[in-house]
Amino acid sequence: MVEFSQPVIDVIISASALLGAGFAMIAGIGPGIGQGYAAGKAVESVARQPEARGNIITTMLLGQAVAESTGIYSLVIAIVLIFTFA
Amino acid sequence: MNPGPQVVTHLFGKDFLPVTDTLIVSWVVVVFLVIAAKIIGSNLELVPGKVQNATELLLTSIEDQIEPMLPGEGRKFLPFIGTIFIFVGVSNLSGVLPGVPNPTADINTTLGLALLVFILMHFEGMRENGIWGYIKGFAEPVFILLPLNIISELAKPISHSFRLFGNIVGGGIIITLIYQAAPWLIPIPLQAWFDIFIGLIQALIFGMVAIAYIAVSKEG
Repeated sequence: MVEFSQPVIDVIISASALLGAGFAMIAGIGPGIGQGYAAGKAVESVARQPEARGNIITTMLLGQAVAESTGIYSLVIAIVLIFTFA
Repeated sequence: MNPGPQVVTHLFGKDFLPVTDTLIVSWVVVVFLVIAAKIIGSNLELVPGKVQNATELLLTSIEDQIEPMLPGEGRKFLPFIGTIFIFVGVSNLSGVLPGVPNPTADINTTLGLALLVFILMHFEGMRENGIWGYIKGFAEPVFILLPLNIISELAKPISHSFRLFGNIVGGGIIITLIYQAAPWLIPIPLQAWFDIFIGLIQALIFGMVAIAYIAVSKEG
């Protein structure tokens, strides 16, 4: 069993928190794919039915906002890791 | 660098009721909106002038967003949803002024608004379906899903508030980093993007999600 002194432990905690913040932001991939998919489908719908443009854009923004939640959760987790542990 | 709200002063003594800078800015926004509403509302005319025209356009467009989701009740929910939308919108736009923190970059503001929406949506659900029908709505489609339904209801205000908070704080942190790296000229379009465009879109989305939650809760 190796004993670490307090400064070394602090450095390890900071490094792990920063690494964890970086890993948490991998979750940004998911909302990116989801929002892009929603935007692509909205473009298809507008091309098929240009008179329903306003409704389609409102629905698309609402769906994208809900899809964005997971990315925002990971952002909040990363912010908490950086500013409270690092 | 500490991006969170800073405690400026204390109400009532040394350690009681801390007042943060975001709280002061939100009070300023509230006072500004009340005064603006008084001034615009005090001289209404049959043939509207420029300011009255713009206000009527804003209010009718908010009502047109409510009407398809809550049919026949657009006028009833307009004061609540409109207040939330205008307050969040003006709070997000206040970050354009240099040195002024966004009130919505504070979890207390957004969680407070989300809890208001949470209380209103359950109140409306109870009034629409009756107390027993409302409680029974949690045990659908089968009784074993009761804990899952309760957890999903409790997750609503959290996701509702964290969406606005995360967007505004994320934009603020990116702007702060860019200001440290390249203080001249480059941050201006970023500031326009994050504070004006993202701010207004997020205010719209906060209001729309509130309408959607109320509509879902009324269905039972």
